[in-house]
Amino acid sequence: MDDFTLGLLTNVGLFSFLALSAYLLLLAGEMSFGQQAFFGVGAYAGGILTTLYGVPLPLAALAAMGLGALAAFLVGLPTLRLKGLYFAMATLAAAEIARLLFELLHFQREIEGELAGPDGTQGFRGIRWIFEQGIEAQEFLLLTYALLALVLAALLLVERSRLGVTLRSVGEDPELAAALGVNVNRFKLGVAASAGALAALGGVLFAHHNTFIEPRNFDIMLGVHSLAYALIGGLGTALGPLLGVALDIGVLEGSRIFGGARMIVFGGLVAVLLVLRPRGLLDEALVHCITSRALQRR
Amino acid sequence: MRVVVLVLALLSAAPVLAQGARAELACRFTGTDFVYDCLIRLTRAGQPLGGAQVVVGADMPSMPMAHNMAPVKATPGRQSGEYEARLDLEMTGEWAIKLRLSGPVRDQLVLHYEFDEQGARPAKRKARR
Repeated sequence: MDDFTLGLLTNVGLFSFLALSAYLLLLAGEMSFGQQAFFGVGAYAGGILTTLYGVPLPLAALAAMGLGALAAFLVGLPTLRLKGLYFAMATLAAAEIARLLFELLHFQREIEGELAGPDGTQGFRGIRWIFEQGIEAQEFLLLTYALLALVLAALLLVERSRLGVTLRSVGEDPELAAALGVNVNRFKLGVAASAGALAALGGVLFAHHNTFIEPRNFDIMLGVHSLAYALIGGLGTALGPLLGVALDIGVLEGSRIFGGARMIVFGGLVAVLLVLRPRGLLDEALVHCITSRALQRR
Repeated sequence: MRVVVLVLALLSAAPVLAQGARAELACRFTGTDFVYDCLIRLTRAGQPLGGAQVVVGADMPSMPMAHNMAPVKATPGRQSGEYEARLDLEMTGEWAIKLRLSGPVRDQLVLHYEFDEQGARPAKRKARR
């Protein structure tokens, strides 16, 4: 596999974590423009742990997920009291605050005669753990997709369970869910924390794949894309956001032939798609149709 | 199974801090819009790093994912540690040049350069306090 394809497939895998994070919140009825903040928290935390303290990547990833969940919980405490557009704006503001905090973060130590660690707007260089351990690009790709498969399997199981039904009911009619005994606020906080942990896991992997991160990596563009992944792919199943990421990155790369106008072409294609399929390609109706046909064949 | 072995290996891996490679970039505007001929100088522990395979990619940090360049392989230059590559960027401005090294050393270096009609120079950023 050539470098271009490897890089592309790895990016699809990495951003899928962010897409699934936005998808989880969409299922709970909330549109977050701020999941990139937790992606950033994971990236910085994971990078600091492996680069400055020599912590193995799996442990660093677990710690970063915990921190991502905590950050999302703390952001969710005040913001989840808001509804609709107000929640979206609050999450966007929280993500921008996080990005500005990354710009203020200076935490460097001397490693092997060189300063390493976050250096504010200059970014965080030398997150070289996977290179120091001799992990090949193909192996990293395999690891990324194995983790993604685990997350996906867990989400698909949840969707088929009572928990999944509660999640969709909270998203579609929170008043009715509350009337049936669901503590909606507490439930949404749990979803927000899980989504934060997922985004943080993607962030850790992103930082180690790129070897360099900077606050600009986690700006509003990434937040918009993460929502777009879920909305393009569809809200009917957890496979939707993955399809969204593959389409988004695939169309972006495929439209290179349009040169400087490719973002216009890309934006136009996304707009047309959302007009034709407002709840994405794999929406609830299509997923229901496919599953009921599959059940009939049995 | 391969994944399980990989995860176990990752858990038990101790940090092996090898001295990393360093890179400098000198680029010349070719006269064609946004196309630059670049000379990459690689060193390791102060010595030229020859015999490496270098793949060069580029991303625009201010517009992540929107503007990037498909990776190109650099060819060895006239002197040891020198490599040449032609970069076909989409616009002027700050670009993050990603150098993926293999061969005698496996590493990835990211350099930030400002590209314009005069060529390229290291990007300067304002610190926030």
